[in-house]
Amino acid sequence: MRRQLERLRDEAVRRKVQFAEARFAAVRHSGLVLQDGRADRVAAGKRAGIGVRVLVEGAWGFASSESTAYQDWVSCLQSAIDLARVSSTRLEERVELAEAPPVVDEVKAIFAVDPTEVSLDRKLAAVRGYEEASACHAGEHVANLMTGYSDAFQTEIVCNTRGTLVSSEFVRTLVWHAITARNGSVLQRAREIQGEQAGFELVEATPADELSGKAAARALALLRASPAPAGKFPAVFHPSITGLLVHEAIGHNAEADHVLSGTSILSSKLNTKIASDCITIVDDATIPKSWGSYRYDSEGLPGQRRVLVESGVLKGFMHSLETAAKMGVAPNGSARADGFLHRPIVRMSNTMILPGELSLEELISDIDLGILLRGGQWGYVWCEKGQYTCHAGEGVMIRDGQLAEQVRDVSISGMTLETLADMLGVSRDFELRMPGNCGKDGQSMPVNGGGPYVKVREIVVGGQG
Amino acid sequence: MDDLLKTAEIACQSAIKAGAEFADASVERGRGISVSIEKNAIKSSDARLWAGVSVRAFARGGTGWFSMSGISEEHAREAGARAAEMAKAAESDPDFVDLVSPCPYAEVPGLYDADLAALAPAEVAAWAVGNIDSARAVTSEAVVSGGASTSWREWALVNNLGVSVAQRSTAASVSASVVIRRDDDVGSFFEWDSARRLADLEVDGIGARAASEALRYLSSRTIRTAVLPVVFGPLSSGGLIQGLCGAASAEEVQRNRSFLIGKKGEQVAAEALTLVDDPLIPGGLSSSVCDGDGFPHRAVTLVEKGVLLTYLHSHYTARKSCEQNTGHSTRVGIASTNVLPTLGTRTAAEIIGEVEDGIYVVLGHPVPDTASGQLSALVDAGFRIERGELTYPLRNTMVAGHALELLSRIDAISSDYRAEPGRVLPTIRVQGVKVASGE
Repeated sequence: MRRQLERLRDEAVRRKVQFAEARFAAVRHSGLVLQDGRADRVAAGKRAGIGVRVLVEGAWGFASSESTAYQDWVSCLQSAIDLARVSSTRLEERVELAEAPPVVDEVKAIFAVDPTEVSLDRKLAAVRGYEEASACHAGEHVANLMTGYSDAFQTEIVCNTRGTLVSSEFVRTLVWHAITARNGSVLQRAREIQGEQAGFELVEATPADELSGKAAARALALLRASPAPAGKFPAVFHPSITGLLVHEAIGHNAEADHVLSGTSILSSKLNTKIASDCITIVDDATIPKSWGSYRYDSEGLPGQRRVLVESGVLKGFMHSLETAAKMGVAPNGSARADGFLHRPIVRMSNTMILPGELSLEELISDIDLGILLRGGQWGYVWCEKGQYTCHAGEGVMIRDGQLAEQVRDVSISGMTLETLADMLGVSRDFELRMPGNCGKDGQSMPVNGGGPYVKVREIVVGGQG
Repeated sequence: MDDLLKTAEIACQSAIKAGAEFADASVERGRGISVSIEKNAIKSSDARLWAGVSVRAFARGGTGWFSMSGISEEHAREAGARAAEMAKAAESDPDFVDLVSPCPYAEVPGLYDADLAALAPAEVAAWAVGNIDSARAVTSEAVVSGGASTSWREWALVNNLGVSVAQRSTAASVSASVVIRRDDDVGSFFEWDSARRLADLEVDGIGARAASEALRYLSSRTIRTAVLPVVFGPLSSGGLIQGLCGAASAEEVQRNRSFLIGKKGEQVAAEALTLVDDPLIPGGLSSSVCDGDGFPHRAVTLVEKGVLLTYLHSHYTARKSCEQNTGHSTRVGIASTNVLPTLGTRTAAEIIGEVEDGIYVVLGHPVPDTASGQLSALVDAGFRIERGELTYPLRNTMVAGHALELLSRIDAISSDYRAEPGRVLPTIRVQGVKVASGE
């Protein structure tokens, strides 16, 4: 494929484009779900194709095809050139790309146990172990158990007219367990997930009590919990909520394409104070094995550790070649594409608030009435307004500086800049364990998030109590 | 589409030959064009071509599923054989009986528009540019993002019992997200339109409407936390209905994951609510001749005067519970199609006018958790209602409650509505909703 990509790149040069990038992407995946004691659905698949992006007269065109045939790729190239001419009909300014040295490299995936060499029986036995642990823990309260396993072997080869030719392999393995627990007519759910850029060794290193046992214990506790209160409360975020918040509220606003499009609340805030002193935020694509890491991005630039906020001051953004040129800074390898069907756009990798010195006990000790939020599930942000929401599966009331009764079914909302300024302290305990997929512009991308416990002066809790 | 049917037939036969007892194969190809807008200019123009085959094979009830790029005979044979191999490795499912048998299909006109399929990218770009201009004609402060897209898709499904069906469809959409910034104050709004036929698509005016709306959201405020009547406008009321339909999935019910377990035949909402799911509406965005199993589509009354009449079934769940198949399989699960609420007798303005103290939710996702029924959702865009008038826009405000309580407190559904192809989106008022905010 590398030779075929180089041939296509040479063809693009012959057609006199300003810049061209041909990207081959392929994925092979397999998975199974155990439910009601049976792995009655086993799935696998493979997809492959080409995405061609060109700059012609300062305008972008992109075309993709689910094909590996060279002639289809040439058609794709011409289609991209034609589309760039369409884009040029309404340009605000010609697109230029930041300078970056060409890279030629091949990155192999690192894993100990190749998941494609592991038999279905062995995978099934591991998954069954998770289910049995949960069933044993939850006993008569089990309404439904689902346990899943999946692995994916991805290849991305980037070849551009600047001389870059980079192929990257990724192996991602994931196990998850979801329990629905019942007490009378009350149903409550809990889910735990473990995913890494690793082979089947991930499963062997994930004991049941850290996955399904933990989910079962949380679901049982939720059955006994009361609905969360509604209103504005002092709050402490568990690392899973911190991870959601830092991704939704800060991360998306620090994507340079949002900054340049005028939809980020951080557009005019560079080198100004946007958070309290205890807050340092990084997006780090270099963490070994982490779900959102990569050696090279989809433009063939090395992934980096990017400091977004340092001691409360906004220090930088995540950039593609295009956004870096527009802002006059060095690119930092943040352009990622979801397979061959999409062009690279600015994305996060592993986004986190860095830990501090305090213990959880110290964070809650002066809160008379507040709430500890945990079990981060999902969230979204309206970048331009700086308004976000995060859904926490559960919470624990804080009364007189102590953790008190458990509450459930709780979402929070806030205004990003107010929340950042209201952060009063961060713990030394730290977790980076939210492997998932982030959606943006119709593309889904593996990311991770986390951080310490974070204390916030006040947050709106959308409960019912 | 005869070639797609032939490919599907080969994939199906390949699975049976490799030891599957039942098999079905879905083959698809398509093309999409999209033009994206960023900060009042075209950001990129993109085209996508896709083609693939997906086979479900069954052995002793266990399912093997294989999907792959390519629609050649060779691809079809490989996909069928691989699916059968996995089905044999899967564990048996005693609840599996068989696949759908051949039945006649109703015609659903308006799903394919040859003119739309033939549109050149430049014409799609002109829609997007037109909406930049229309937004900025409303106010030069408007910063416009969004875009326009078109696609066509051909799809064929064959199973080893003789089902053989193909469908061609088109789709188009136009969107505009407008941001108006005055120092630290921001007003924004997102507006869009989608259709299967050019005649049903509002090409112009999306940008202008988004800009006009965005201006209304400057100077937003928080309110006191309280229990209030909440009026869900046409763009947010669907969340409650979507939540009800999600929980009515027989898969969720049979797997003990639904707040509607044991509720069939019972009152689950106020009498004002009647819901018909109709997948046969000409030109409907969710219309098609059959579901993902190949079962012929038909209209189904899901809720009548607040009483849940049926769960939404696939062939598998219907067989499992010995109930009638409603034709809602998506192959990967169960989903409603075009859901039509029965309209009320008063207009949205009259319904809002009756509210002394409440809120109006314009944009939001008030979708309850399928299992617990609990809802806790942000008001993405909305207004305070005081003495029957929309007085000021809201910020940092949430609504919460249990789905069954909220549905039982619906006391008005409007007579006027936003029309989308195949969809009717009215205004719905719910009494006694917990509203949390930052004041």
